[in-house]
Amino acid sequence: MAVMAKKGKREVPAMSTSSLPDIVFMLLFFFMAATTMREVDPLVSVQMPEAIEITELDKKNLVNIWMGKPLGAAKGEDALKIQLNDQTREVEDIRDFISATTVTKGVGPKDIVVNLRVDEGATVGKLTAVKQELRKAEALNIAYAARASETNR
Amino acid sequence: MAKAKKKAGEINSSSMADIAFLLLIFFLVTTTMDVDTGMKRTLPPWIDPTEQQNDVDVNERNVLKVNVSRSGAIMVGTEEYRSSDLRRSGEHSRLSREVYFFLVDPERSNKKDTEIDGGMYKVSEGLVSLKADDETEYKVYLKVQDELTHAFSLYRDDVSRQVYGKAYDELDDIQAGNIRKAVPMKISEAEPNDQTKK
Repeated sequence: MAVMAKKGKREVPAMSTSSLPDIVFMLLFFFMAATTMREVDPLVSVQMPEAIEITELDKKNLVNIWMGKPLGAAKGEDALKIQLNDQTREVEDIRDFISATTVTKGVGPKDIVVNLRVDEGATVGKLTAVKQELRKAEALNIAYAARASETNR
Repeated sequence: MAKAKKKAGEINSSSMADIAFLLLIFFLVTTTMDVDTGMKRTLPPWIDPTEQQNDVDVNERNVLKVNVSRSGAIMVGTEEYRSSDLRRSGEHSRLSREVYFFLVDPERSNKKDTEIDGGMYKVSEGLVSLKADDETEYKVYLKVQDELTHAFSLYRDDVSRQVYGKAYDELDDIQAGNIRKAVPMKISEAEPNDQTKK
């Protein structure tokens, strides 16, 4: 009897929540490692065209080239600018940019994929000029950046 | 004396979790998990214009010429297509269907015996030559590229069903690699100086 009475009185100890911060911190670190902060600020506005037949591009060895209207440009001004890293540059600078990138990445120009983030309002002529420079730089693997089409599917 | 015996009170750490949660939510909101998506292409190697050019001999029969004008009109071979033909009705657009038939039809492009995973299969040698005017809008150009890619995907699916009996999407990596090798996306983007010639 005495034993029974004792048992009935005993309270269930509160669940220890001391490990909760650890778990949350682990989650936090996971997200910090898995996500990437945007490294470069855009200087040109690029509205990417829509496409259906697109694939995911491996972030590793991906080199971005932006082409679009400069941000804050006057309305009538529609000269396309090329952005490499965080500067607006000319088409002729692409070759130097590619060779500099291959040095920093430590790979050959054939191992990188150049992601062409071109505004949908750009003209093919401008794009061709960029592609010609890439051919000269021997960076032959390219990708036309596009976002998944929402309609039309 | 009694005071000395009193233990120092422990710091309540229950709010630690809240702080960590706040940080977690902050990072979730500010970071972007955006994946880069795009259409992969391989450019032809640079040929110095001063060097003698020995063009790769391609049978004219196996080439489907696609021309895009500055206004967005599209010529496929000798037939005219409008921008509405790029829009998909159901699964395919008129352009992708046309290119797909070009690849499939033995009357229109030669079939070559190709070894895929130990077996011999007839695979089209068809090549699409895409030319666009310098003033063509990139949006239209990429849409055309999209539909051409779609046609090749359909054809890959076809070959995949012949070889493995299932769709290309359902293949494992090695099998998909075999199909990709046997059926490359032969979309040639013309040299810019070729554009003046017709």
